Amino acid sequence: MPQAERIKLCSTCHGEDGNSRMPNTPSLAGQPDFYLTNQLFLFREGVRNVPGMSELLKGLKDDDLVALAGHFAALEPKASEEKVDPALAKRGAALVEPMRCASCHLPSFAGQEQMPRLAKQRIDYLIHSLKQFRDNARSGADTLMSNVVIGVSDDDLAALAHYVSSN
Amino acid sequence: MSMTPKVLAVAVTAAAFALGGGALNAQQRPGFSPIDKTDQTKAKQDQNLKGNPQPATATPLEKIPLDRIKLPPGFKAEIWSHGHAAGRTMVMGAKGTMFMGTRVIGRVYAITEQGGKREAKVLLQGLTQPNGLAFHNGSLYVFAINRVLRYDNIEDKLDNPGEPVDLTKAYDLPDTVHHNWKYVAFGPDGKMYVQVGANCNICEINPGIHGQIRRYNADGTGMEIVARGVRNTVGFDWHPVTKELWFTDNGRDWAGNDGPEDELNRVAAGQEGAFYGFPYCHANGIPDPDVRMPNACAGVVLPAALTGPHSAGLGIKFYTGTMFPENYRNVAFIARHGSWNREKRFGYDVAVARTDGGKATIEPFLTGMLDEAANQHYSRPSYVFQMADGSLLVSDELHGAIYRITYSAPGKK
Repeated sequence: MPQAERIKLCSTCHGEDGNSRMPNTPSLAGQPDFYLTNQLFLFREGVRNVPGMSELLKGLKDDDLVALAGHFAALEPKASEEKVDPALAKRGAALVEPMRCASCHLPSFAGQEQMPRLAKQRIDYLIHSLKQFRDNARSGADTLMSNVVIGVSDDDLAALAHYVSSN
Repeated sequence: MSMTPKVLAVAVTAAAFALGGGALNAQQRPGFSPIDKTDQTKAKQDQNLKGNPQPATATPLEKIPLDRIKLPPGFKAEIWSHGHAAGRTMVMGAKGTMFMGTRVIGRVYAITEQGGKREAKVLLQGLTQPNGLAFHNGSLYVFAINRVLRYDNIEDKLDNPGEPVDLTKAYDLPDTVHHNWKYVAFGPDGKMYVQVGANCNICEINPGIHGQIRRYNADGTGMEIVARGVRNTVGFDWHPVTKELWFTDNGRDWAGNDGPEDELNRVAAGQEGAFYGFPYCHANGIPDPDVRMPNACAGVVLPAALTGPHSAGLGIKFYTGTMFPENYRNVAFIARHGSWNREKRFGYDVAVARTDGGKATIEPFLTGMLDEAANQHYSRPSYVFQMADGSLLVSDELHGAIYRITYSAPGKK
């Protein structure tokens, strides 16, 4: 499949400009190249399990994955249409410092290297991911995130998501 | 911030800082500095404390920085194999197949000789951090996070390993993931020794479940606890003479650049089940600043040696070969994976531990992969393996390569 067609296929769910309008589906625009490449490898090889993703990437060569990652990393991230709850965002802002989120994800939350962008990411996807980390349900990630959110309540995870997304 | 009591101590410390620092200042507590939104270069939260990226592809042969390696006089390094992205643990089958485990990339590699050329192929994939490998009676044991698989007669089935015997239920490992990528090895007693790390950086753990080294019969029955209060050992070996177990242990993070230092520990004969201090007591007797306990170090087996702050000692092997000079006999080689969570990088080398009873001294061996001035590393040494001819293999996770270290006396060719 030519690269342009493949990108179109990705865009069906992740948005033509790489900014997702589909619930629980992440935006890829502006993600660190390194992060996207790693995730594509993990999907292809069935380490990270998301329905459909492994099938879509089956048979792709390493270079194909690197090229796909490069395409989406270069796109402009835009905030999703989800409503940010100001009270939750305020609570989240107070949580990110003691939880040291910016040590890896940067003070702008743009992410770096293997650590994803959180700013402008879909809130529902962030909540889903944080719960997966906490509940040992996210295979194919460094386990550091599981340590960060160990024992954190659903409400606090939602607050974190509302805050970092709104950056 | 609502949390379970398990992490209360950490949360309280964090809150204390948010309110103005309490007894701990920002200098001592990296990562707690406030985020400065106006000038992000001033924000201390991201200053060299982040984890290191591990690429999913191997470095092409011509770009592997072999020339940087420095060794004592008479020793030489060469590239033994390459092209196995993110390969870490090494175990060899009876027929000479080298098996390599990995972490995030989820693969197990098989390296074989094909017409004088060494070739690496993906044997298994899609596993969750299959770092723990052991070979025994023709079978390859694969320990992924909390999953145990046994591939019988594996060396006759490298092209199609087939369905494994699933020993997950028998081993009954906990379902938590952090610090639970496994290191495993068969001991001189024929038992399978298994790491079960603390499922957090620092917290109260259930000592009946986490922070242990366990041993089992090969089939997963007869579990015994060999060591308790062990934060995260990712490598162990048995002394060739005393047959005692020695293990590396990685110290906690987010308590400063200087440590607490990582440890080399010994389980003295007859002391199986002894307590090594986590989470209350670290290194040479440092009480934990977050999880407090009166007399935190009472009854704790202190380390045989400290192995450096955040150095991340992983693989350890006692040398029993005859290729290296006499004074390397029965010393332990330790691969130090190198730091994260430390502003100035540390480790990224192979050290030697000379043991004497219950103590050990650490000296450098393979260096040159850390440029201290530039604060830049060029390797992640992960595990060490002694070949039948007495040469030493060192795996480099960063480049997906294995180096072979040989020795010839000066003057000889």
